[in-house]
Amino acid sequence: MIEASLHRIHLPRGTVVSVQVGAEIRPDEVIGMRRGAMAPVRVPVTRPLRRQPAEIEELLVVRPGERVEAEQPLALVEGAGVVLAPVAGLVLAASGRDGTLLLAPLAAEETVIGHVRGRVRAVEEGSLVIEVPAARLHGVGGSGEAVHGELVVGVPNPGDELRAGAIDAGATGKILVGGSRASAETLTRARAMGVAGIVLGGVLHKELRDFEAIQRRRREAGGMTGAFGILLVEGFGKVGIDPQLFSWFRAHAGRVASLFGADGLLYVYDAAPLPSRRALAKVGDRVIAHRRPFQGRGGVLVGLMEDLHAAQSGIPTRMALVRFEDGRLAPVPLANIEATVVAEGR
Amino acid sequence: MTTEARSLEVGRATSELSLLVDIGSAWTKAAVVGRALGRWRIAAHAAQPSAWDEAELIATLAARLAGRADPRVSARIASLLADAPRIAVHTPARPGRIALAAVSSELSGQAARRAAEAAGWVVVEAVTVDDGRPVVDRLSALQSAEVDAWLIAGGFDEEGGEGALEVAGLVAAARGGGKSPVVWAGSAGLTERVGAFFEPGVLRAVANPRPSADRENLLPLRRYLDGLIERLVERGAARQLAPIGFGRAVAELARASHLRVVGVDLGARYATWASADENGMAESRVVALGGLASPTLTAPGGPARIARGLPLAIDELAVADALQNLRARPGSIPQTDEELAVVHGAARDLLADLAANGPQPQGVDLLIGSGRTIGSAPLPAQAMQLLLDGIRPIGIVQVAIDPAGALGPLGALRDDEIVEGLGTLRDDLLTPLGAAVVCRGGRPGHLSMRVTVHRVGWRSLGPIEVRPGQLEVVPLPRGQVAELEIELDPAVSLSAPRRARRLRASVTGGAVGVVLDARDAPLLLPRRSDDRRTVLSAWRDTFLREVRPPAEGAA
Repeated sequence: MIEASLHRIHLPRGTVVSVQVGAEIRPDEVIGMRRGAMAPVRVPVTRPLRRQPAEIEELLVVRPGERVEAEQPLALVEGAGVVLAPVAGLVLAASGRDGTLLLAPLAAEETVIGHVRGRVRAVEEGSLVIEVPAARLHGVGGSGEAVHGELVVGVPNPGDELRAGAIDAGATGKILVGGSRASAETLTRARAMGVAGIVLGGVLHKELRDFEAIQRRRREAGGMTGAFGILLVEGFGKVGIDPQLFSWFRAHAGRVASLFGADGLLYVYDAAPLPSRRALAKVGDRVIAHRRPFQGRGGVLVGLMEDLHAAQSGIPTRMALVRFEDGRLAPVPLANIEATVVAEGR
Repeated sequence: MTTEARSLEVGRATSELSLLVDIGSAWTKAAVVGRALGRWRIAAHAAQPSAWDEAELIATLAARLAGRADPRVSARIASLLADAPRIAVHTPARPGRIALAAVSSELSGQAARRAAEAAGWVVVEAVTVDDGRPVVDRLSALQSAEVDAWLIAGGFDEEGGEGALEVAGLVAAARGGGKSPVVWAGSAGLTERVGAFFEPGVLRAVANPRPSADRENLLPLRRYLDGLIERLVERGAARQLAPIGFGRAVAELARASHLRVVGVDLGARYATWASADENGMAESRVVALGGLASPTLTAPGGPARIARGLPLAIDELAVADALQNLRARPGSIPQTDEELAVVHGAARDLLADLAANGPQPQGVDLLIGSGRTIGSAPLPAQAMQLLLDGIRPIGIVQVAIDPAGALGPLGALRDDEIVEGLGTLRDDLLTPLGAAVVCRGGRPGHLSMRVTVHRVGWRSLGPIEVRPGQLEVVPLPRGQVAELEIELDPAVSLSAPRRARRLRASVTGGAVGVVLDARDAPLLLPRRSDDRRTVLSAWRDTFLREVRPPAEGAA
């Protein structure tokens, strides 16, 4: 049985929440409505009222920061006239130089989606707190937006690289579990094919930066559609997903998941508990190493060395002896390994 | 120092112990303070990832004490440690998040950002009139920002300025009501008009950090933001915050020793710079994302910058991945030489940044390095090189490290207790690395300095000639005092009040000795990568090689 965890959805300012505390929500459910701002327009104020530009602040009946509706008075002079808002918008500034008001018209109403399944626990200023009954995986990094979709495993082995050629139309709208790495080209293709998100063991910093730069340029040029998120599970570089975790993903292919790229979070619904990690490994534990030269490799902790020993770098530290899966026995700083624990009952 | 009163059992040995604990975001450091031969000493210290449980820390400390503790209590040492009173500090649970809107990125924006970052805030979004973005993008960015407070800056005090009113209007529109406070740190003449944009009681006006084009006045804003972060993010118990404790301990150390002291604490998330004069008048800067997990290291240009400063040939891509892994798993340790080189490169970069964004460290008597990377460097010489390369403290300075991470917890004591704590533990608190003579300037082909080391009771060393770009390490053991006779080239400066060409100074030795450093400030490096690595390797080797005394001069 999975324990529910609390998830906070950050709401952009101006969002009008449409769900109440206690409501059950689905990942694709609208939780609020919001009107963003468009490119501001200058509304002449002093000229129609036949006043000097420097007098603008005395004439205004609204202040910067205020939201106004169409036809709402912006400025008036008793007996001389009134200036009305041409559109609904946000008042940004008044210029004493040219006597105009800077008004950002409100865009059409757009929906805000939570991308998560659960029960609304609280509605706070700027956020919604949701109780999410799902397996929760906190990665070491990520990128991109919140997405949801069905889990699909995209590589045969946890150490394999996710290739661009492996992504086809069948992955559209899905969250793809890759292996040890994906190039910027693969990530770009995945997004172009409508993949919702990708879970990777590792990725090269440069590949991720290149991909993000491509997305930024596309966004600036316009025409980018659909959200896309990336979750990084183990580390940076070519790092395979822990085989136990990979098996868990395989067993849960087809389940719905929510991926929060920027937060490095994944929820998988209707799932068995994830293999967990324990920071301090004990003799006999199955462990995974997190730093080079063994980064991403699994093994068994066969012994702890007494006293402090110098790592190759010269740092004196507590060392563990690990029998890696390839048969090699190596001393590894205890701080650089974690025990991987399969949940009971599996 | 606070200790727990214990009931005495007949025939049973008792102990007086307390623990100094610094719970960092990545590592927890603990020191056992116990009584030995009538004196309070740091009997053992240990560090472990903060994710490990406390029982492990106690077991490690007990193991370190085993064999050294009185046999009558050694069997009970773990339980005694577990029950011992403790003085603990911790890294703030989360940094304060602030959105900044300013007129100019170079002037008002830069000044306000530095003040906010020095007070421990993270600027999660910054918009300026000259940032090249359309107004609607600035508005949208501010609307999306998740913040605890807003900071608006701009306009010189004498001039006012419409740009400042525009950014204030933008914040008012983006904020859209709510409880988050707004700080106005712009033109004094605009305060009333800006105040009208917000609900009553929301805006707080603080002195302009950039009152004119040629003047900066960051202190009032920084102090206000210091208080605001305490009120909004870490309510109460500010003394228990590691950066605050560290600053208080440095100030007290300066007051008690009548020295000008600079302390730097480089952690995983936070970097703290504390400087204090002989009277204990202190200034600290706390940079919330200034530690080794800082995103600035992996921002575009960061990995390349760090790779350029490494003595090993490690390509930029590998450096970038290593930095990201350091950020992703700050509780792990560099296992290979290459990873250690990258971590030390990152530490130097962060220290240089910390030093550059505040008053220059000139005329410092004592420089203290703290934090796991510095305090637990594999060799004392590496810690010395990190501090000198990063901070470039021009002048004659004693250098020490805080290996047990005890300064932060001691700073959490009450004022009168800090004095007592520092005095009681004075012999164990800091590990002296030695002294450094760091000069700026120099002419190619000329000597930068000629130094003779007169050691009490030993033959004098030198004169040692140091050319521009060179450094020399002279052995001087811990506790040994020497008189340096320094002759400077006219083009070289030690930042002395007057540009004396000959001076004498008294220094004390340490684990490294006396470093004569004529590498200029900032460090000048060749452009060609091979040449640069040759120079960097030579510097590293000078620090690391077993120090041999140069030719002895006349007694």
